[in-house]
Amino acid sequence: MPSRKKQRAGIVGVPPLSVMELLATPEYAIFDLDEPQGRIDIETASPFLPRVYCGILRTVIANSLSIQPDIIYIDTGSGKCDCAVHTATILEDILPDCRIVRTRNNDSTGFGNPLCRARMNLLDKMAAITASVQNPLPYENIPACHPTAGFWGVPPRDFSLLKFFPDTTHIYGWTRCMENKTPDNLDLEMHFNPDIPTVFFAQSFCAKTALARHLTSKHPYGLFLDCDVTAGNSVKAKIQAFLELSGM
Amino acid sequence: MLLADFGTSYCKLLDTGSADSPRLIATNTIDRKNTKVDLATGHNGKRYAAHYINELTALARGGLSLIEEQAFTLLDCGSRDIKYVTYIDGKIKDMGWNAECGASMGFTIELLEKYYDLDFSDMAIPKSSFSITCGVLGMSHIFDAVVSGESEAEAVAKFVKGIALNAYDFAKRPSKLYLSGGLCDNPLFVGSLPCPVISLGRFVLLEGLQASLELSDF
Repeated sequence: MPSRKKQRAGIVGVPPLSVMELLATPEYAIFDLDEPQGRIDIETASPFLPRVYCGILRTVIANSLSIQPDIIYIDTGSGKCDCAVHTATILEDILPDCRIVRTRNNDSTGFGNPLCRARMNLLDKMAAITASVQNPLPYENIPACHPTAGFWGVPPRDFSLLKFFPDTTHIYGWTRCMENKTPDNLDLEMHFNPDIPTVFFAQSFCAKTALARHLTSKHPYGLFLDCDVTAGNSVKAKIQAFLELSGM
Repeated sequence: MLLADFGTSYCKLLDTGSADSPRLIATNTIDRKNTKVDLATGHNGKRYAAHYINELTALARGGLSLIEEQAFTLLDCGSRDIKYVTYIDGKIKDMGWNAECGASMGFTIELLEKYYDLDFSDMAIPKSSFSITCGVLGMSHIFDAVVSGESEAEAVAKFVKGIALNAYDFAKRPSKLYLSGGLCDNPLFVGSLPCPVISLGRFVLLEGLQASLELSDF
């Protein structure tokens, strides 16, 4: 009996749990379009989005052009951002054979944050959290570690900036909302630990830069950091110096 | 031990076993094959050093060694980039390193001084300035002003003041500024900063390397 070809489903942001339960079946191959998927040149997005635009949404366009999904679920609610609303419109125009489904994730049932608080290499931890979006099942119980540093923000486009943090870094901000599967939870997003040195990160040109800077001003040991497509030497040096000078 | 701050235009070297002052040498005269130091900073430093400290860390530690106050902002203006650290209550509060939009400030100022044969110690601080973002992009303002009949010296002075104001904004407009780097020796630049300025000179990062020696087992 011939095997049926899998549908290629792209996701942008954190679609509602009901969508992820549907996609977590053998009929679908899921692509997280927010993340770099292999060696896809981000400049392929430039004819459709300005270069001075969120690097993650530029990545979404570049990935979509290359992967050509059959269907894309793109969250355009307040759990993602206004830029995703416009990106959805552009995707509809440039991918006529792809079905674009706009979602608004208002899920409020928390799945918890075991990964955000675990002792683990921060790069691996972030990768595990972004992968967890595709899994609708409850998390395993992982013990929380005593935090010595904090990373607040969204998963960065360039994970290499995470390599300077200790394994005992706790994650806050929208990434915590992501793991909790409640992306539209501003109270959770604004939570931070004032007792540990914390880097408040946002992608350059993202509206969350305002919140990141605002929370930095409220934190006694906070550093605001923004970064576009790739983390340059100055970004890496800032993180490294901040952690060193904070006693890490 | 031999410590070095390998800058874009100048390198600063200190032998901790010698009573001599630090040496300042042009980067383009460095022996690229045979130069080796024990501990370095600066964007060329990794190539020549057994151990490397990043520039912001070296700047912060240098500032902590030289400045007695618990709260301060220290801005370093080099050839290629600008960077600052802010301490409050003896703890790091903020920092920045601008290698893109602050690009080539010091280098461009030195280039203009030589090209137009100017003496910055003998130039008045202008009342107005050009609105510029970096050394490279700001050059066109000078050319436009000269074409419009302004003297070369006046145009360059407005450019330098624009760069100084830009650097001040970058450091988040402190009420008092500690300054390090080669531009400490430029009275036009220092006088253009709109707050009290205490110049610490070119060797603050070397001071930071010395402080780093005491903190580790290099």
